[in-house]
Amino acid sequence: MIDYRTVYTICPFCGTGCGILLEVMNGRLEGVLPCKTNPVNQGKLCIKGWSAHEFVHSPDRLKKPLVRKDGRLEEVEWDEALSFIASRLKAITQAYGPDSFGAFSSAKCTTEENYLLQKFTRAVIGTNNIDHCARL
Amino acid sequence: MTNSVEELEDAACILIIGSNTTVAHPIIATRIFRAREKGAKIIVVDPRKTHIASYADLYLAEKSGTDVAVINGLLHIIIKEGWYDKEFVEKRTEGFAVLKTFIEEYTPARVSEITGIPEVQLRQAAEMFAKAKQSSIVYCMGITQHTVGVDNVLSLANLSMATGHIGKWASGVNPLRGQNNVQGSTDMAAIPNVLPGYQSLADDAVIAKFETAWGVTLPRKPGLTIMEMMDAIGTGGIRALYVMGENPMVSDPDIQHVKKALESLELLIVQDIFPTETVALAHVVLPGVTFAEKDGTFVSTDRRVQRIRKAIEPIGEARPDWQIICDVAHAMGAPDFDYASPSEVFDEIASLVPLFAGISYDRIAENGIQWPCRTKEAPSTVFMHKDTFSKGLGTFKPVAYKAPAELPDEEYPFILITGRDAFHYHTGSMTRRSKSLTGQINRCYVQIHPADAKKLRIKAGQLTRLRSRRGAIEVEARITPIVQSGSVFVPFHFAETAANVLTNPALDPVVKIPEFKICAVKLEKVA
Amino acid sequence: MDRLREGIRDALTEGPVAGVMGLILDGGHPRPHLFTKGRIEDLDRLVVGEARYPLAAVLLKVLRNDLDAHLGIVARGCDERAILELVRNVQLNGERVVVFGVACSSEQASACQCPQPYPSSHLSGERVAPVSDSEGLDRLDRLSEEERLQYWMDQFGKCIKCYGCRNICPMCFCTTCTLDEDDLIQTGTIPPEKPIFHLIRAFHMAERCIDCGLCEAACPSGIPLRTLYKKMRNVVTTRFGFTPGITKEGKGPLQYLGDGKFGEQEGH
Repeated sequence: MIDYRTVYTICPFCGTGCGILLEVMNGRLEGVLPCKTNPVNQGKLCIKGWSAHEFVHSPDRLKKPLVRKDGRLEEVEWDEALSFIASRLKAITQAYGPDSFGAFSSAKCTTEENYLLQKFTRAVIGTNNIDHCARL
Repeated sequence: MTNSVEELEDAACILIIGSNTTVAHPIIATRIFRAREKGAKIIVVDPRKTHIASYADLYLAEKSGTDVAVINGLLHIIIKEGWYDKEFVEKRTEGFAVLKTFIEEYTPARVSEITGIPEVQLRQAAEMFAKAKQSSIVYCMGITQHTVGVDNVLSLANLSMATGHIGKWASGVNPLRGQNNVQGSTDMAAIPNVLPGYQSLADDAVIAKFETAWGVTLPRKPGLTIMEMMDAIGTGGIRALYVMGENPMVSDPDIQHVKKALESLELLIVQDIFPTETVALAHVVLPGVTFAEKDGTFVSTDRRVQRIRKAIEPIGEARPDWQIICDVAHAMGAPDFDYASPSEVFDEIASLVPLFAGISYDRIAENGIQWPCRTKEAPSTVFMHKDTFSKGLGTFKPVAYKAPAELPDEEYPFILITGRDAFHYHTGSMTRRSKSLTGQINRCYVQIHPADAKKLRIKAGQLTRLRSRRGAIEVEARITPIVQSGSVFVPFHFAETAANVLTNPALDPVVKIPEFKICAVKLEKVA
Repeated sequence: MDRLREGIRDALTEGPVAGVMGLILDGGHPRPHLFTKGRIEDLDRLVVGEARYPLAAVLLKVLRNDLDAHLGIVARGCDERAILELVRNVQLNGERVVVFGVACSSEQASACQCPQPYPSSHLSGERVAPVSDSEGLDRLDRLSEEERLQYWMDQFGKCIKCYGCRNICPMCFCTTCTLDEDDLIQTGTIPPEKPIFHLIRAFHMAERCIDCGLCEAACPSGIPLRTLYKKMRNVVTTRFGFTPGITKEGKGPLQYLGDGKFGEQEGH
């Protein structure tokens, strides 16, 4: 039996903030409908909004953490990637101080994620070296 | 935006400057078309005759990089003719006398000389904008991506205050944000010089509040911007870099310099959804998820906080980005960072950021709320600066016209403008994996004026080499009068022929934005 | 409304339908949703008429993934007109689609300028009179040919090529589309080649347009698309006595083109 539902969310492209309905069929995105009742776009979308589901299931998606070994990126488990990061970050910041770390946050990510990455940068590492591509 | 998207359709005059609205913000262009339908006057100022310019009542074809001169010229006429809003200037602003004197020298004749805009058009635009009941300014990266980006923005603020076209319904200054959540990222202080909610690093009470909440001692020294970090990597100042969902190998100016910098890092962590050009240089890669696989909020261009919702399970072993940051923090031994959901993170934000204090997931379940929203009872702030500016009186800050950092010369005789195409987005990592969009266009191009094409014997579709002092790319020629003779335009979405190989990393001295809109190049037909 | 809900509940629990396409009100926004037996409680949030989505097109999308499914649809007049044409064009099997009809209120009918604001049978609502608005068309018909061309070129020039008119259209059921073909219309530019982009679509609407107006409502540039397609619809009605979505029996006239025998076959 087919499961079809729509999920109300916001377009991931430009900063207009158009409401979209993601069409989900059996756990996969099958399309986008413009949300008729969102006050910003009132049922209209541009071609990027209409196509916002298409890249999600791309076969190119990164599906596992990768760590560079002998010059090549190799798939590893999450625990290995995380402890690799922790040990390297600790070593570098202990040797050269917190300002030897920098973070590029993302205007594509959520507000909460941006908050968390700046909190990590400021509270865990101890530097204000964080920026994102607002200027780009 | 000081106004809301909805308000634009009620404006009586809209001045669009440095915004290719139908291409980069099509659904905001919807409101501009509606305003036009209702009789509004549309003025477009742009070095390119953009799509929306062909629907303008007045199109001012400025020379690249002369925006300050244009605006000062309009102010000169408006003040001379007595078309400014005397009451608003008196009650709401300070420094008008200084502006008035300063603007004296921007006579229509001189401004026309600098900008290439006929005097009569300057007069028409000044009158249309000043005299309309509600005028709004709409601008985008054509204003900001200059070494005089801040000056450009200040001069627009001068124009809106002098004419009293701010702080009212359908009247204000409206920068269009280029990315879904660039507003939210900035609000959350993913920038080096403030704490979340634009709270000052120099304010002891603010620092104390965050230190108590986070249980740490915070660094007080402002950090580095992206462009400064790139330079600091080269000099050994920065040794470890955590890049979340960014692709500087395509988005940043002078890519060869970027590549050298990233390659010299001791640790490059990249968190992304696709194997981008930046991922290729990483030491460790963390698979994040798309907007469709997680909950959270985006803050759109009119300060509207809206929820995004998880529609499908994460692909493969990818994890939501908020969770990954917490995982990294835990691995580092940080005691905090225990959140069951993004909603809990948001509640922490609301407790620390006054602009967001009244917002919660419950309140924005249906429709978004526009900040500032300081209490649980407060409604959306539909337009800003109604009775007062955030600092009280608005101060006029006169700015002088300055030439761009790199202008054409004999060796590099063309101005290169970079920007967006209608069918792709930023570095293309998402849109170039979308068949509807690649079906429209999947190759870079250069727009060349017919007269220049004729001179150089370049034909439509021909491969053309563009070379700047920093590098070269070869792309297909599109012959079009959209660009002025002497200028060319290249979209920056295409990594294999990245426009940013050419661009000049010269920065605005205040906000460090690169001058993407102007650098000097030469054109050659590829044999 | 209760009768409608009961009708659907019965059909899902006892009857042959495995799911019913309709609108669910969730978080303040009505959205298309497939109501199923497994989640019968969703029916409490079934709404009608709060917003218009191309429910017939969504139903078709679901059925293309499950050709044997037997589904229902909560249909207003426009949705039923779409179903009728999708069946006539052999996209849907009429025997596998159960229509739960809802008549629109006079406010809804006039908001949509609906040519037939009720399905052939309905479980809910009172039948109200059609609202026919030909004002826009009449005004354009009074213009000279040159002025009219100028008007449409100006309108087509606003197009940002979102394909919203096609994407939202319940009658755009093709799996490949002329409007995507670079050989026929230049891709990758806005506005798209004019007038060809819009005229091709208008011609393709000739025998299909059910005059629901979803295209115009979805157009970011405010192009009066419905007026354009109404013109095509009127031509087809006048020339062939066939009105898509209204004429119940027989094939559409374009299905005969080529043999010159329209009007002599199958009851015409």
